[in-house]
Amino acid sequence: MSNRKSDSFNEALKAREEKERDRLLNEVSDGEEKVMALDDTQRVKVLSPGRLVSKRFFRNKLALVGLAVLIIMFTFAFLCPLVYPYSQTEIFYKYDKLMIDYASASKRTEYSKYQLDKDVELHYSVANRINSYIDEMEEKGESSIHVVGDDNVAYTISRVGDKVYSVSAASSAVVATYSDSATIAKYTGMGKSFTWEGGEAMPADFQQLVIDIAANKGGEFEYEGFSYKVEPTTGKMAYLVLRTSGGISVTDETLDEDFAATAASAVKNGRAVFDYGDRSFAVRRSDNSAEIVEQGGESVAVVASTLVFNLYNNKLSINDEFKGNALLALYGEGSFESDGESYTIKSDGDDIIIYDNDGDEFAALSDYAIRRFSGEDTMAIDLKDAIEDTIEKMEETSSQTETIVFAIPAMDENAAPIYDENGELVYADSELKIVRHAAQYVVNCEQTTYLIDIHAEPTAEHWFGTDGDGMDILARAMYGGRISLMVGFVVVMIEMFLGIILGGLAGFFGGWVDTLIMRLVDIFYCIPSMPILIITGALFEQLKISAYVRLVYLMAILGILGWASVARLVRGQILSLREQEFMVAEEATGMRAAKRIFRHLIPNVMPQLIVSATMGLGSVIITESTLSFLGLGVKHPLATWGNMINSVTGSSEDMIRYAYIWVPIGALICLTVIAFNFVGDGLRDAFDPRSKQ
Amino acid sequence: MGEFLLKRILLCILIFFFVMLIIYALMYSLPTSYVEQMARELATKPGSLKSASEWIAELNASYGFDRGILGGYMHWLGSALKGEFGESWYWTVPVTEKLGDTIGISFAMGAVSFIFEILIAIPLGVLAARRQYTMTDYAVTVFGLIGISMPTFFTATLYKLFFGVKLQWFDIMGMQGRDYHTLSSFGQFLDRCDHLVLPILTLVTVSIGSLMRYTRTNMLEVLSADYIRTARAKGLSERVVINRHAFRNTMVPLVTILGGSLPGLFSGALITETIFAIRGVGFCSYHSMVNGDIPFTMFYLSFISILTLLGNLISDVLYAVVDPRVRVH
Repeated sequence: MSNRKSDSFNEALKAREEKERDRLLNEVSDGEEKVMALDDTQRVKVLSPGRLVSKRFFRNKLALVGLAVLIIMFTFAFLCPLVYPYSQTEIFYKYDKLMIDYASASKRTEYSKYQLDKDVELHYSVANRINSYIDEMEEKGESSIHVVGDDNVAYTISRVGDKVYSVSAASSAVVATYSDSATIAKYTGMGKSFTWEGGEAMPADFQQLVIDIAANKGGEFEYEGFSYKVEPTTGKMAYLVLRTSGGISVTDETLDEDFAATAASAVKNGRAVFDYGDRSFAVRRSDNSAEIVEQGGESVAVVASTLVFNLYNNKLSINDEFKGNALLALYGEGSFESDGESYTIKSDGDDIIIYDNDGDEFAALSDYAIRRFSGEDTMAIDLKDAIEDTIEKMEETSSQTETIVFAIPAMDENAAPIYDENGELVYADSELKIVRHAAQYVVNCEQTTYLIDIHAEPTAEHWFGTDGDGMDILARAMYGGRISLMVGFVVVMIEMFLGIILGGLAGFFGGWVDTLIMRLVDIFYCIPSMPILIITGALFEQLKISAYVRLVYLMAILGILGWASVARLVRGQILSLREQEFMVAEEATGMRAAKRIFRHLIPNVMPQLIVSATMGLGSVIITESTLSFLGLGVKHPLATWGNMINSVTGSSEDMIRYAYIWVPIGALICLTVIAFNFVGDGLRDAFDPRSKQ
Repeated sequence: MGEFLLKRILLCILIFFFVMLIIYALMYSLPTSYVEQMARELATKPGSLKSASEWIAELNASYGFDRGILGGYMHWLGSALKGEFGESWYWTVPVTEKLGDTIGISFAMGAVSFIFEILIAIPLGVLAARRQYTMTDYAVTVFGLIGISMPTFFTATLYKLFFGVKLQWFDIMGMQGRDYHTLSSFGQFLDRCDHLVLPILTLVTVSIGSLMRYTRTNMLEVLSADYIRTARAKGLSERVVINRHAFRNTMVPLVTILGGSLPGLFSGALITETIFAIRGVGFCSYHSMVNGDIPFTMFYLSFISILTLLGNLISDVLYAVVDPRVRVH
């Protein structure tokens, strides 16, 4: 252009216009029209394939609705639990007024035994029979009987007064033991083992003696004043160890040889008691031996009574010795000492009351044992009196229930006792209902109790209330959604992974690979998946696999059962793509098979795969929730929508009452699945505009 | 055609063999508690001369459980081919007898719901296709999708709540009313029908959607074909165009779907029957499966597998019959 003549008018015009156009193209001021060349790239708006698809997708209203629902669902299931204060397994408790068994009352008929003398041990054979002994005495009107226990000790049971009996025994000390001749052991040369007849083994030096003698095929020996014999018996290298002499061994050092002889003759003659000097002794025989005991004076060992002690100040406690002494004093001198304090006991007609040193009432005795159900004796004595009076009245009128009003410790709404400013318990009038159950009386009372808050109505704290386990329903719905969506995604990913690889191989290579894989696909197509899932569910149930492990297994099984359709789709697409020119071109350039499959074929199958995955997600969620509904899928304590619905639709009554729980949760399942289907539909239309006319 | 059929049938037998092998392996690995329980019962019966462990060994031998998975499978297959499926453990009657008792009600339910499904879904699908992108189309699409997306158990529970509890029109479960035995035989028949209404409604609701969508898609494809334009250009009335030209061609793919779903009528509706306690095949098989009743489960699953294979075969053959182009291929 530089060689052209500049005086040409046409050229000058051209140059000016070009300048003007350049200016307009680059810098456009307001009000001026932008000039475009016909071949300007800006004239044609070229969209990338991705943007084209998204533009078509966003034009579809149903797909948009689906997408919005999915976003809401994901927020609900994955983000809301982060800010929601409760977890899926948190159990909620509440305090509520509940009619509880407050106390029980019964007339004491069994004799309680209070030990007085610690040196005398009442043998269990007598202690166990004490009630029948006393019954027998009362029947016969006897004031005292002598009994001999299984330990050969004589006891005396005497009537102290009404409902109070004492058991006396002579104090005794073992002074000597006597043993008969007897087989004491069986010895086997093999392994040098002993089987002791009496159960107790002899010392090692004794055993060594036996072993030495047994080596000489038997013989006799002396050990600690007794003579023993070892003789062969039936069995290989078996010997019996026998004690051939009976003898006495004296343990009391104040007694001499002479005593031993006297005692031995007494035992041999079968005498139960004998005297030696000015001391008297008793013989207690057992199977192969006997004990010689010295008999001391008699003393009251145990006091038995049916009376129950009720303390005025129930923070204190009293021991058995106190009770025994008090009972003896009741029919005796009227006063007794315990732990250095002196007490007096007085009976005025019905009431028996113990007064302490200052003359204050300390305890009262009664026929009725009235206790809290916890076993604690924390009830006030006037309440016990009132209950006792009522029971007596009930026995007279033979009525079954009676109600009294009495002040018992008040409770606040957290089931804690209320104290006033002085630290004293606050009492409040409560209605106590006394019900007769055969010989026992149960005192019922309304009390604030700590309970699991099951099936709570919707409140500000729990917007949808709580379920049958006291867990927050909204929290469980969130976590349930999380599991449903997670199961869907994991299963679809497993399906895609297996399906793409196997389908890709089958489609690309053809031949026997194709045949093999497609027969496998046929087999998996034919397997009835719902029965298989039910069977595996029952299997997990029997194996008691934990809920978390089950979840993993469930996802794996669903994925393995579902890959066949993906493989079939991928293979079909690849078969048709393989015939196209770009594959021929790739083959000509010598591209590797793996690259051709995964870089060129699979991306071309992707649109159909995405659509089928989106639709598949919905059906996996349905399958999972159905299994969970049947109790064979995801189990408690993990929440899923399926098992939440199951837990409140057991009976028609539940179905109506908890419709506000299961209908919304069912709607959540439907909404999620519908949304996946809408989005899948929208994606299909967007990927393949030909399908939309 | 004959060769094609023969090849397909041989293939079906092969597939059947492996499918049942997989199922047998699964059943085999179930804890054999049921066998043990049975053995204990037998051992405690008066006159039993064997101990429980001897009974277990004998039962295991008779069911072929002592030969490993493959040996046991061959044993089962051998007796199954002879028609001996054994006696159900859970129902304590021969499995074939149990199937005979229960299949009637399942088939009745399946057939009635199938008819309703066709009667409702196909006309609606055609309607939606004819009025594409109108409110009708959207409504049909949305309702179809909702039907697909409703889990069976939820639909069933909703119907129970609404029709059973709120309106009190039907009993919520079972097959007979309380006064069943006082009714005349016709009354008994009506009572039974009455109890089947909700299950059938459920089945129709959940199955209608996919058929409707399938019909719509096919109809749309046909409506855009050249011969429809030709038919319109000829001046044929819209009714003739739709009913004679378009709908008949839509039937081609539909026939295969319907042919394929026909054997499913006999297999029973597992979940619906269980939820409504209808004692059909599905209900029985559910309880057999959950309770580890191997003879009945094996029998039922082989029954289903054969039906599935048969269904595929039927739809292939039907396709070949309806569309002559396939036969050439």
